[in-house]
Amino acid sequence: MADYREAPLATRPKTLDPNEYFNLSPEQRRAEEERAALRANLKRQYQQQLNNPHRKELIEDPALTRWVYARANPYTNFRPTKKTSLIGALFGVVPLFVLYYTFKTDRDRKEEQIKAGTLERKFSLSY
Amino acid sequence: MAGVGFQRWVRALSKGRRPGFSALVPLCRAASGVSNNMLPGAYPKTPEERAAAAKKYNMRVEDYEPHPDKGEGFGDYPKLADRSQHERDPWYKWDHPDLRRNWGEPMHWDFDMLIRNRVDTSPSPVSWSTMSKQLLGFIGFMLFMFYLGGKFPVYQPVGPKQYPFNNLHVEKGGDPEKQPEEPKNYEI
Repeated sequence: MADYREAPLATRPKTLDPNEYFNLSPEQRRAEEERAALRANLKRQYQQQLNNPHRKELIEDPALTRWVYARANPYTNFRPTKKTSLIGALFGVVPLFVLYYTFKTDRDRKEEQIKAGTLERKFSLSY
Repeated sequence: MAGVGFQRWVRALSKGRRPGFSALVPLCRAASGVSNNMLPGAYPKTPEERAAAAKKYNMRVEDYEPHPDKGEGFGDYPKLADRSQHERDPWYKWDHPDLRRNWGEPMHWDFDMLIRNRVDTSPSPVSWSTMSKQLLGFIGFMLFMFYLGGKFPVYQPVGPKQYPFNNLHVEKGGDPEKQPEEPKNYEI
């Protein structure tokens, strides 16, 4: 496993990360402990609500609410910059014109061929 | 009793200082559910705003990293690692085992893409170049062979089709009285 190389666009699993095993400084350990403390606090809150015998309603997840809100309201944080305007133009405006011209010219050409009687009606399987 | 309530309501509407519909809505509401400071906000500019945002999302201040402020609509939502739920430990007791997520854990912006039914970012057994070479090589080879087969068809030898009844003379619209000579389709 020493020569393991992860595929591009994929990640190395945490258990194969050499930093997990060597060079664990006190700061890194403290950081991991703080993260564990946050996780444990959330677990405690959830378990308390889950095992509460008087609870009748669903347990609401504020992280989920925040995620939904953030995904549903991107325009409150939208700002027209070069990049965002370019993307908007590329995806919103250009396809309209390009597709219109493509279809129009193709259809016109076909119509002319039909009128001239030169349209070849093939029985090909692909296209 | 209902009439009294209705009269007071009408009086509040006519004498009230708040315009329009807000006259009907009570000024105080129950403090239930998610309050406004728990929701995502704008990009944090000062260190205090960053600390507050990290606390809001249940992350360490050092771990909290908002998306770069390019006006793309992220606000102060944290930028988490692009790892799918496939990579999470299957044996740990998650609060939501199918999603491999704990309650209250900050969700990735593309969480719905990274669930276990969809995009998988875990390491592949073979390298990317090998995979692309094998797939594209096979597909290219098969396309080429089918193209050749279309160009050079191979089938049993056939002769021209022979029709009965005098080469279908009457069916093709010929005069039933005047029958031409019978065509000979064989050689002895």
